[in-house]
Amino acid sequence: MSALLEVRGASRKFGALMAVNNVSFSANEGELLGLIGPNGAGKSTLYNLIAGVLPPTAGTILFEGKDITGWKAYDIARVGIGRTFQIPKPYRQLSVVENVMLTAFLREPSLGAARKLAEATLADVGLADHLGTPVSALTVGLLKRLEVARALAMRPKLVLFDEIMAGLTPTEVGTMTRFVAGLPARGITVIWVEHVLYAIMKTATRMVVLNRGEVIAQGAPAALARDPAVVKAYLGEEMDLA
Amino acid sequence: MADATRTSRTTLPLPSLPQRGSVSLFEIVLFLVCLALIAVGLPSSLQDVMLLTFLYAGLALAWNIAGGYAGLISFGHAAFFGVGAYTSTILFVHFGVTPWLGIWCGAVLSAVFGAVLALVCARLRGPFFILSTLAFAEVVRIGALNWASLTGGPEGLSIPPSASLVNMIFASKATYAGLMLGYVLLVYAITKALETSRYGYYLFAIRDDEDAASAAGVNPLLGRTYAMALSAALTGIGGSLFAQYFLYLDPTFVISPELSFQFALLPAVGGLGTAIGPILGSFLITPLSELLRSNLGNAAAGLHLVIYSAGLIVVMLYFPGGLAAAIAKLARWRPFS
Repeated sequence: MSALLEVRGASRKFGALMAVNNVSFSANEGELLGLIGPNGAGKSTLYNLIAGVLPPTAGTILFEGKDITGWKAYDIARVGIGRTFQIPKPYRQLSVVENVMLTAFLREPSLGAARKLAEATLADVGLADHLGTPVSALTVGLLKRLEVARALAMRPKLVLFDEIMAGLTPTEVGTMTRFVAGLPARGITVIWVEHVLYAIMKTATRMVVLNRGEVIAQGAPAALARDPAVVKAYLGEEMDLA
Repeated sequence: MADATRTSRTTLPLPSLPQRGSVSLFEIVLFLVCLALIAVGLPSSLQDVMLLTFLYAGLALAWNIAGGYAGLISFGHAAFFGVGAYTSTILFVHFGVTPWLGIWCGAVLSAVFGAVLALVCARLRGPFFILSTLAFAEVVRIGALNWASLTGGPEGLSIPPSASLVNMIFASKATYAGLMLGYVLLVYAITKALETSRYGYYLFAIRDDEDAASAAGVNPLLGRTYAMALSAALTGIGGSLFAQYFLYLDPTFVISPELSFQFALLPAVGGLGTAIGPILGSFLITPLSELLRSNLGNAAAGLHLVIYSAGLIVVMLYFPGGLAAAIAKLARWRPFS
């Protein structure tokens, strides 16, 4: 497997605080990489470094072997990296389908084709009945699905999911988990930050654990569930994945 | 289902009420009414009101591209109005260039001013952006007042009133009204084209959430700059038309904050971010303010402003989405079902 995304020694300092400290990991093509850690571990900052919201203060980020360190967010999107926002950021004055069309434009510049792609993507995440709905009328669960649809409508090579399960009902978690698990087979590599552990530990092919800005462990979910360092920093007790 | 939609589209080719991305019967009827009003030969004072209403409708539409579509609320558009007016007038008076050409030079220069404003204020949002647009216009006004060799300074600049097509000066007010209506049509067509292109959607995205827009591959600064430049260029054209009608410019009026507020107010009353809104706003407010001023001006000085302001407050309170939203609401009203 070749590395689609490679993060080499990335760091981000806020004043005296090292939010992300010398983090290295890679996501291989076709992988579903889980990224976990306690609140304040630096997960969101790390996402912001990859997605171009913030430049790293040190280190490099490679995508398909190309150095994309410090690129702007819109240029990162254009090379094929999609993302969701932990707190959904819909375009409030547009309908659901228009929200998704805006990312679809990256693939389909014409309005008609973008609408078709947006509709297909919305059907994929189970929002086919809400195409014309104003986003102000959506529940949290539907807003999270809208975030996912927006990230996928550009047909990304890599997608960064940020807590897409938060606030969902157990049924919705189950549906979403199966959906995300199916993405690598469709040629979309996934990096996934999630606090709903049973969902991510069962689905991820590999996991990276962050604590206080540093990678404290990485490997298969089953091994990490018994790793004393991970248990101490985050899990609290050993997890039984059976 | 799909077939049903298609048949209904062929039987009724146009929607009856204004909506995003298409022209409706409402707009066509409104346009025909305007043409008829020009043709019937209203009394001279009413023709004044009519052509001002058209001019302000065009200016409100131009402002709306930045303020309504891209979310760049500006209280400084009088600067672009002034740049357009002064450019075509200076070219005409000092260099004998026909306004038909000068008007486009004014549009280009206004666009440059607009782009500069967007770039200088790139990091400012919300009230800070608004205040800086206000300050920007003040800088332009003071500049125009002091560069007297070019602008005539506080004494202003007059255009010799020799009516001819080449000079874009006409004896008949109906011709001016037609010219102003043509201006509305131009800005309206550009607005509609924006609504049906992905660039229009880019502006909506930037207005609603810049982070999300960036994640969708949209460069917010570029979008803001283009929107402001386009809006400024179209406002500049309105400024030139104003100069050709009044044949006199002075910075204290042409680049006044009052004028800037007016440009922002009409779309706010009519409906921000809609194509029909600014037109409705001007059609309601401009005649109201002009007629109140001429009828009450002598009897009770200032009373027209009181009535005018009270009317505005009522509209803002009860129709926060503007007249455009009120019409849409009315269309959905089914009292007997």
